[in-house]
Amino acid sequence: MSILTLNNVHKRFGETPIIRGVNLSIEEGERHAIIGPNGAGKSTLFHLISGKYPVTEGTISLRGQAIQNLPPYEIARRGLARSFQVTNIFPRLSVFENIRCGLLWKMGYGYSFWNLLGRQHDLNTAARGILDQIGLSQRADYPAGELAYAQQRALELGIAIASGAEVIMLDEPVAGMSHSEAENAVALIRRVTEGKTLIMVEHDMSIVFDIADRISVLVYGELIACDTPSNIRNSEKVQEAYLGTVTADE
Amino acid sequence: MKKFLTKSFAWFGYLAVLLLLPQFFDSILAVSLFNQMAIAIVFALSYNMLLGQGGMLSFGHAVYFGLGGFLAVHALLLIEFETVYFSIVYIPLLAGLVGLLAALFIGSFSTRKAGTVFAMISLGIGELLAASSLIFVSFFGGEAGVSGDRTYGPPLFGVEFFQGIEIYYLAAAWVFVATLFMYLFTQTPAGRMANAVRDNPERAEFIGYSARRVRYISFCASGFFAGIAGGLYALNYEFVTEETLNAVTSGRVLLMAYIGGLGYFIGPILGAVILTLMNSLLSNYTDLWMLYLGILFLLTVLFLPKGFAGFIMMHRVAWLQRRIGKLVLPYLATGIPAMLFMATCVLMLELSHLEDESLSVLSIDLSASSPFTWIGLLLIATISMLVTRRTLPALREAWEFANHMTDEPESKS
Ligand SMILES: Nc1ncnc2c1ncn2[C@@H]1O[C@H](COP(=O)(O)OP(=O)(O)O)[C@@H](O)[C@H]1O
Ligand SMILES: [Mg+2]
Repeated sequence: MSILTLNNVHKRFGETPIIRGVNLSIEEGERHAIIGPNGAGKSTLFHLISGKYPVTEGTISLRGQAIQNLPPYEIARRGLARSFQVTNIFPRLSVFENIRCGLLWKMGYGYSFWNLLGRQHDLNTAARGILDQIGLSQRADYPAGELAYAQQRALELGIAIASGAEVIMLDEPVAGMSHSEAENAVALIRRVTEGKTLIMVEHDMSIVFDIADRISVLVYGELIACDTPSNIRNSEKVQEAYLGTVTADE
Repeated sequence: MKKFLTKSFAWFGYLAVLLLLPQFFDSILAVSLFNQMAIAIVFALSYNMLLGQGGMLSFGHAVYFGLGGFLAVHALLLIEFETVYFSIVYIPLLAGLVGLLAALFIGSFSTRKAGTVFAMISLGIGELLAASSLIFVSFFGGEAGVSGDRTYGPPLFGVEFFQGIEIYYLAAAWVFVATLFMYLFTQTPAGRMANAVRDNPERAEFIGYSARRVRYISFCASGFFAGIAGGLYALNYEFVTEETLNAVTSGRVLLMAYIGGLGYFIGPILGAVILTLMNSLLSNYTDLWMLYLGILFLLTVLFLPKGFAGFIMMHRVAWLQRRIGKLVLPYLATGIPAMLFMATCVLMLELSHLEDESLSVLSIDLSASSPFTWIGLLLIATISMLVTRRTLPALREAWEFANHMTDEPESKS
């Protein structure tokens, strides 16, 4: 059964069409990569799904429920978490607090002003567990804004998975990292998204072909292909529209 | 466990200071000063729930303080005319509820966004209420304000609240409780999410929280505690005017929180104490005290952006490394000439604004009309400034040394 479905989704900023009729259906547990040239609208698509922008037209459903145009927090509560292309954390809170905030809603605290955080044993244990997973236990008490770039990216990922969401969306999670950092990050992503549905925008083709079960190719706001890695690799249409240009660039 | 003990110790210390202060300074003037401090502490802490904790810059926080104050005076009047009959010790709670009610209403539209929009709305509401307070004379008493008498209520354990000291102990109790609850609020999910929304409202929405709802909760809590402060004000002065809810009061609480340090829970407490001291002591000696207050604010913004609390906390690393002692001499070497420089500047300001033309300092008579006075003062100012500048590099070096990490940083918990 598909967990996330996009039906004829359009987005215009003013008169400019950015997303032009995207249909996409993602299966539960799938690892799905979205590739495409810069400015194709990949991040915009993420913003539409996660509720940052309203759609101009079309429907998006999560587990069969329509979520288009809901505010981000409603969508997050329904089990969709995401990271951002530009690091998006709580810079003045400690690393530990960042993760703990990510856990709060899922663990049922809501807007409580009658529970003391320090006393919530399960919550704090869970937060430490996630810090362990993302390898930031040593940095637990540092202000998040003072971490090195790769660590901030790991924290970004940690906040996303803390919510316990079924669907994890990562927007270029390893962009800007050195080769070895990227390798570690990919291993980490694999580990923490085990058993979940992963949707990822990524430019590095070796990573994409390595991780993804299926790949969608977005060009000028349209999906020109959506298939298995080997079929994408061999598709002439994709070669022409996208892969060719990338190899030429590099 | 150790952390818990340190914290309990800090709270006991706070309580002890609150209770013992008037034992050491028991003049009427001192007690009235402590009363003002107590009120200011609650008010400044409530303000920091908005600005420091929640990232909402308000120019109209006096609204909640003033409304609390007016309600409290009216409660005193009701007690006086025997419409209702209860002990005045509960009045701050009533005043807090009025602050809460006002915040529930105003926050419902003002907390949609933080930043400029919020600041402008707070300013607008502040002006609106200050203007209405002069129009709706029956409740606000117009220019003259409203006064009451706190001694008509039933005595509590024989205390009738005739004296300032009795009100002080009542205020101290309220201050302690209010401080404790405001601190505890920072340790709850709502309080922590307020910090998260301050840092990054967008991201907060993607982890399941409506930034607006988070702000709204802090805003209401802040209005509640500001109302309590207003109630204490009314009990202390038995007299409330339009000034308690206008922009002057809103500005003053902003200064307190800022000068004390927005980033630390105790910052506003320090700010409240410092500004109350300046306000009441300095204003006895000089007409220029507002100018000095402005200069202090300017210096804080420029050189201590994290306020006095931030300045104290800056020394944590040096303290942990046991090198704080190395800073004493350099601090003195720079501090003494710097103080001298400032004192000379103050003297020149005072002289230039003098009416009777002369001023006696350390039994030297300085005459404002004599050029020698000015030449002498300018000379001292110049020399002390040069000396300060000469000693700065040594201070900087000592600072580097004291803060240089030799070992791996210890875990901060
Ligand atoms: N808020 C916005 N307003 C107007 N145009 C936008 C906005 N966000 C993105 N765009 C435009 O949409 C196009 C796609 O951007 P984006 O989704 O970030 O591309 P990608 O992530 O694929 O590189 C770009 O041309 C960009 O300029
Ligand atoms: Mg992008």
